[in-house]
Amino acid sequence: MKKLYFFKLFFLLLLCNSFAQNQQDYSSHATLTQRIKLLGDKYPQFVKSRILTQTLGGKSIWMITIGTGSTDKKPAVAVVGGVDGKHLLGVEMAIGFAEKLLAKANTDSVKTLLNKQTFYVFPNMSPDATEQYFAKLKYERSGNATKTDDDRDGRDNEDGFDDLDGDGKITWMRIIDPTGKYKLNSDDPRSLLLADATKGEAGKYILLTEGSDNDKDGNFNEDGEGGVAFNRNNSYNFKPFVAGAGEYAVSEKENRAMFDFLFDAFNVYAVVTFGPTNNLSTPVTFNPQAISKRIITGWFDADAKANALVSERYNKITKTKDAPKTVTESGDFSQWAYFHYGRLSFSTPGWWIPKVAPDSSRKEKKFTTEDNVASYLRWATSQGITNTFTPWKPVNYPDFPGQTVEVGGLDPFVLQNPPYKMVDAIVAQHTDFLMELSNMAPKLDLVNVKTEKVADGLTRITLKVMNIGDLPTYTKVGDRSYFLKKIVVKVNTNANQTFVSGRKVQTLESIQGKDATELTWLIKGGGKVTIEADSPTTGSKSIEVSL
Amino acid sequence: MRKNITLLAALIFCAGILKAQKAENILAAVGTPPNPKVQVSWNRYNDYAAITDICKKLAAAHPNLVKLESMGKSYQGKDLWVMTITDTKVGNADKKPAMYIDGNIHSNEIQGSEFALYTAWYLVEMYSTGNKTITGLLADKTFYIAPTINPDARDHFIHQANTAHSPRTGLVPIDNDRDGLTNEDGFDDLDGDGHIVMMRRKNVNGRYKVDPTDARRMIMIGNEEKGEYELLGSEGIDNDGDGFVNEDGEGAYDPNRDWGWNWQPNYIQSGAYKYPFSIPENRAIVDFVMKHPNIAAAQSYHNNGGMILRGPGALEDLDTYNAQDVRVYDALGKKGEEMLPGYKYLVVYKDLYSVFGGELDWFYGGRGIYTFSNELWTGYSMYNKADGEDSQGQLYTFDKDLLMKDAFVDWHPYKHPTYGDIEIGGFKKTYTRLHPGFLLESDAHRNMAFSVFHAYNTPKLSVGEIEVKEIGNGLTQVTAIVNNERMIPTHSSQDVKNNIEIPDIISLSGGTVLAGMVVTNRDMNFTIEQKLDPTNIKVANIPGNSFVTVRWIVKGGTKFTVNVSSKKGGLASKSN
Repeated sequence: MKKLYFFKLFFLLLLCNSFAQNQQDYSSHATLTQRIKLLGDKYPQFVKSRILTQTLGGKSIWMITIGTGSTDKKPAVAVVGGVDGKHLLGVEMAIGFAEKLLAKANTDSVKTLLNKQTFYVFPNMSPDATEQYFAKLKYERSGNATKTDDDRDGRDNEDGFDDLDGDGKITWMRIIDPTGKYKLNSDDPRSLLLADATKGEAGKYILLTEGSDNDKDGNFNEDGEGGVAFNRNNSYNFKPFVAGAGEYAVSEKENRAMFDFLFDAFNVYAVVTFGPTNNLSTPVTFNPQAISKRIITGWFDADAKANALVSERYNKITKTKDAPKTVTESGDFSQWAYFHYGRLSFSTPGWWIPKVAPDSSRKEKKFTTEDNVASYLRWATSQGITNTFTPWKPVNYPDFPGQTVEVGGLDPFVLQNPPYKMVDAIVAQHTDFLMELSNMAPKLDLVNVKTEKVADGLTRITLKVMNIGDLPTYTKVGDRSYFLKKIVVKVNTNANQTFVSGRKVQTLESIQGKDATELTWLIKGGGKVTIEADSPTTGSKSIEVSL
Repeated sequence: MRKNITLLAALIFCAGILKAQKAENILAAVGTPPNPKVQVSWNRYNDYAAITDICKKLAAAHPNLVKLESMGKSYQGKDLWVMTITDTKVGNADKKPAMYIDGNIHSNEIQGSEFALYTAWYLVEMYSTGNKTITGLLADKTFYIAPTINPDARDHFIHQANTAHSPRTGLVPIDNDRDGLTNEDGFDDLDGDGHIVMMRRKNVNGRYKVDPTDARRMIMIGNEEKGEYELLGSEGIDNDGDGFVNEDGEGAYDPNRDWGWNWQPNYIQSGAYKYPFSIPENRAIVDFVMKHPNIAAAQSYHNNGGMILRGPGALEDLDTYNAQDVRVYDALGKKGEEMLPGYKYLVVYKDLYSVFGGELDWFYGGRGIYTFSNELWTGYSMYNKADGEDSQGQLYTFDKDLLMKDAFVDWHPYKHPTYGDIEIGGFKKTYTRLHPGFLLESDAHRNMAFSVFHAYNTPKLSVGEIEVKEIGNGLTQVTAIVNNERMIPTHSSQDVKNNIEIPDIISLSGGTVLAGMVVTNRDMNFTIEQKLDPTNIKVANIPGNSFVTVRWIVKGGTKFTVNVSSKKGGLASKSN
């Protein structure tokens, strides 16, 4: 029997390894589910997976808890992927982190880490949307399966994309039209740019996503499948009445299920998002104006400093560079994690189009205009990637009778997601970063303990509660939120000991990294007392003091 | 035997109903149903079980007018009742312009439930008397009435020892002092009399003395005066030994900071919970409202202070309310001031306080529904005059003059574990914010009448003139006028601005429609053509007390029918 068990385990190990190594493309929901299950089978002592909710599209929202013992009592990092359904890489980075961390579960460093800390991994928050990559018709999608009436005409999902050239993917269509706003990019005429009328430039093309005006309302593809986007439905800077936002903030099952878990997870000290926002390559900067109003829009100084410290380590470890400035959408998740969840929130897309110098052998010149598509195409050429651009080709199209309509352009997904063979190295870098982040976690110690005999049977105890970690015990933004717990300091005395001064139980506000708070008591009586400091984000520390 | 008991019980039950006075012995007082099928005493308060009972009796006695359903469950699993009240023999309840009314979102503000219940009761019992105003109203409109949207904490307020202010929250446990424990240090009914009142202690350094005109009352001492007492807050002890008294009691979030319009977290908006509609009761309501797009008006009952409140709740939302909508609000609110003596029509953010995530803001901002929150009970009602200089003192004289001192627990000694010899006394929870019995029905009636006025003014659509004109080549021009005979438009301007609700649809049947258009100036022939689907002309709004003109160019047909379908405005139809 035992033998059989080992045999099974061996088989699983083999399967797991070969699985991770042999995967050729991003993970479909089925693949992801299998990878999660394999982790649970392989590392049962470290892994607990659960389904937070089922989406309306019938997909599971998974959460993997990695740790040992009472995981909810240990300082934790939440690692989140798939916040935007277009960003398949984020899913790989989250699940890949779990796999790579656990692969080292037998090393001393990881064993120690998992004894002291917990990771909550949410590999994919947008499974309805990411599945579009694997569907018969492939297109970039952020919305879930909630039915929406994006154009408010009383009908749901009646005008989506259409595969006009029958290639199984949605690209672009351009129509030669005197009122068109787009012109060809002179740096690379495969790409189109907005003509600048203030410079006397004339447009030549109407540029639209591929599809017909199915509901004949004059707008193209404005109300297709793809309801509410996870990354637009969060409560910070939520904008209603925008396609994909939802009728109100946190209306979707995915967002609610995750928030319900996280708000009760008082031990989370940091949230790391693998998604569109980037405050790891370049940290946020402190702007006093942004915190001067009731609704703050910027980070507090102390928190921005923590971001800077973490960012510095991120750049050193991942060696990533040239990250473009990111613009966060309304309702963004990583912003929510700071502003509304009150935790240190770090986010990175993990990959962006690398800058490539012009190659004179290909007669390339320096670009005159910034254009993602042109940059991508130049990089792709340098990498020998040739199959991601569809040359513009005329199609027969009744919506524009008598006009030339061409379909072509860049493939969906390629601007956000690198070729799959690059993923493993990205995951490895970011796993190292997460390990380093956990080394920076807040941690309590009781130091400089001093006892003084004030009189016979009367002792003064003085000590410092110190945060020996690099990150604060909780954020400045969380100072006034009851979802973040204070440090509780308790002095356990016996019946013969009484407090002349100082409190038996008290709570302390946040302590910054490497900072300390001094406490003092006057206690009457003899013997010993124990003093304990504890909070969910720091773990506890206890000492015994003789009176 | 068992059968006999059941029969006996049934007999007793019937006797209870039949005991109602016989009609021939009664002279109806005007404006009140003289012999209602469901007898309710409107001079006392009802717990959840009693409210459920009244709702069920109304539904059983008036099956053609009342449908009772549950919107969902409270945190503790109680049904959140809502009564759909309309004349079900005329039209479809969910297609008529509707008014939503709820009460008791704040647990201690319980009279909102009685006011909501009274409204339901009054509408159906008056309908049964044949009153033309009410039968007409229930033919045109639907009322969705949810007496208590916070039943857990309502029962806590009623059945546990409490102050007039506790609990304001629902009963989801909260760690208010952030020490990792929830609800570990609430009030304590030290003397076990069922009331949480004040604690005072004799102290020459205290800042209070006994009022020479009423020994029950504590007043501040003046300069150079010696004090007699210090006040120690509400009855309680330091249950968790952290040096604070009563700092982490029941729940303690605010269900009225939980709504999904400009929602802000609790460090910005105290009382907010996790995210919009994270309180289960509110979640059930929002789901109900989203399923009933015919709701065009709403009222949410609170206490107290005699206010007819409208949004914006927060200064940051000032731009949400534009002039056209404010005109409608003003017309309704000013009428309310006349109907509710002592009540003032006010704007939350500037006249009260600036808050995020309030119910009325979501109803208006998120759904474009004209919504008021009435703050029930005003000191004006004590002597029918505005509060004098000493409104606190008036509470004591009114209690003495008209309530036979029933509202006060007299000071009595108590030995407190921390404070030593103290005295306990003060106003009961049922005083200062809640109506005394004899004024409850009167104010419920006035507020009901205000809601009737509000609901009456939701859109009433009708097709007016249908002009049919031959224009040659075998073509006919059909011009129709669609009226809105009431003050409230089919789409508030907040709705139009954000396309919250789909447009109203005006359709023509009879003949083949070749073109359709909205006529913006009939005399000058200014029109806006709708090229797509011209049979069904979409109009963004049919304004209040106004009309829209639409036109079709038709081939064939002489007999035409114009149909109007509007989510908030209901249906209308007419043939030439």
